Amino acid sequence: MTEIIRLLSRFITGNRVWKSVFRAESPVTERGQSESIFHNVWLHIYPVKVRKDALRFTYTFCLGGVSFLLFLLLIITGVPLMFYYVPSVEQAYGSMKDLEFVVSYGLLLRNMHRWAAHAMVITVFLHMARVFYTGSYKSPREFNWVVGVFLLALTLGLSFTGYLLPWDQLAFWAITVGTSIASYVPWLGPSFKYVLIGGNEVGQGALLRFYVLHTVVLPLAAVLMMAAHFWRIRKDGGISKPL
Amino acid sequence: MPKEVEGEYEVFPDNPHKTYGLMAVVKGKSPVVDKSPEDTVMTWPHLLIRELVASVVVMAVLLAISLVLNAPLEEHANLTETPNPAKAPWYFLGLQELVHYSALIGGVIIPGLSLFLLAALPYLDRTPDRAPSKRKLLTVVFTVFIIVNVVLIVIGSYFRGPGWSFIVPWRGGSVQ
Repeated sequence: MTEIIRLLSRFITGNRVWKSVFRAESPVTERGQSESIFHNVWLHIYPVKVRKDALRFTYTFCLGGVSFLLFLLLIITGVPLMFYYVPSVEQAYGSMKDLEFVVSYGLLLRNMHRWAAHAMVITVFLHMARVFYTGSYKSPREFNWVVGVFLLALTLGLSFTGYLLPWDQLAFWAITVGTSIASYVPWLGPSFKYVLIGGNEVGQGALLRFYVLHTVVLPLAAVLMMAAHFWRIRKDGGISKPL
Repeated sequence: MPKEVEGEYEVFPDNPHKTYGLMAVVKGKSPVVDKSPEDTVMTWPHLLIRELVASVVVMAVLLAISLVLNAPLEEHANLTETPNPAKAPWYFLGLQELVHYSALIGGVIIPGLSLFLLAALPYLDRTPDRAPSKRKLLTVVFTVFIIVNVVLIVIGSYFRGPGWSFIVPWRGGSVQ
């Protein structure tokens, strides 16, 4: 069996086309496996070798990785949703109905986006708990924990701004309640709420602002913070050792 | 050419083309600290295959859920018709529950302080050991923090009815 896999991978990877695309020798040798990582722009953030114990599922439960995967899935499902969605109080709700009844697989697209968003809030939270219980926030990883707390806040912000976009009763009143909590902050609160929703009440101003925050500002901020987060994992010596 | 002088010989003989020299021999570590050759494996395939499998599982589960459960969509937003109770998104329901008790203490001071302490945790915790059993106080505090969060969210989600009154969901009515 192993021999068949070896022959098959040599057949697929041992030719000129593969080499020209991946700039790497066939990954059947350790040299080829190393090159597959560090000659690849997307993979070179990985080390060429990892500690065996870092692979143990019951240590990380893949929670950080799953959070990142869900983020990618949210971008992949979010972009086609943007093709159909119009951020105006007159048309937003109609976009939801179109997705359900007119657009092929529109409802499935929206379902996946919604459930992935809820799941990401949960996995990010659980990831934080795992990092706490394994004491992985300790030196030299202190600052990466802080970056992680910002990423948790960004995840909540992304979910909250997306919550308004369907412009149904659920969305409207949840954001009305949520933003009114912000106004309880002394001094800054009321101004912050005014700037956030572009007026005194949730309306067209709030919808457009939340749309821009949800589709441009917060994803961009999250991508930049994640880059720092992942880079720091590498610089701090990989993920922490199991206890 | 090595010059043999009574049993001694030069390890690095003089060479007019040589542009380097041996300054000192030091004991050193590899760039990956605490790494020994036998406890590592190649990232490709060992780590990447595992990540691929995990990704496929997550995508399959997400697809399955999305085929069965539809995302909620209520009536068109209506400013004149306030639902009772009006609830924030589920992850803010703990916050809304606290606001119900006190807007300033529950809505601002407690969550603000929690968030600050959470971010500053690595700098506040000075215990050297990573194992939870070696930092019991902090472990208890953090666990209580998580449980309180979950309990408040569950109360806000299922046990709050009209006027934020306490209800029992399986009776479908208000207790008070």
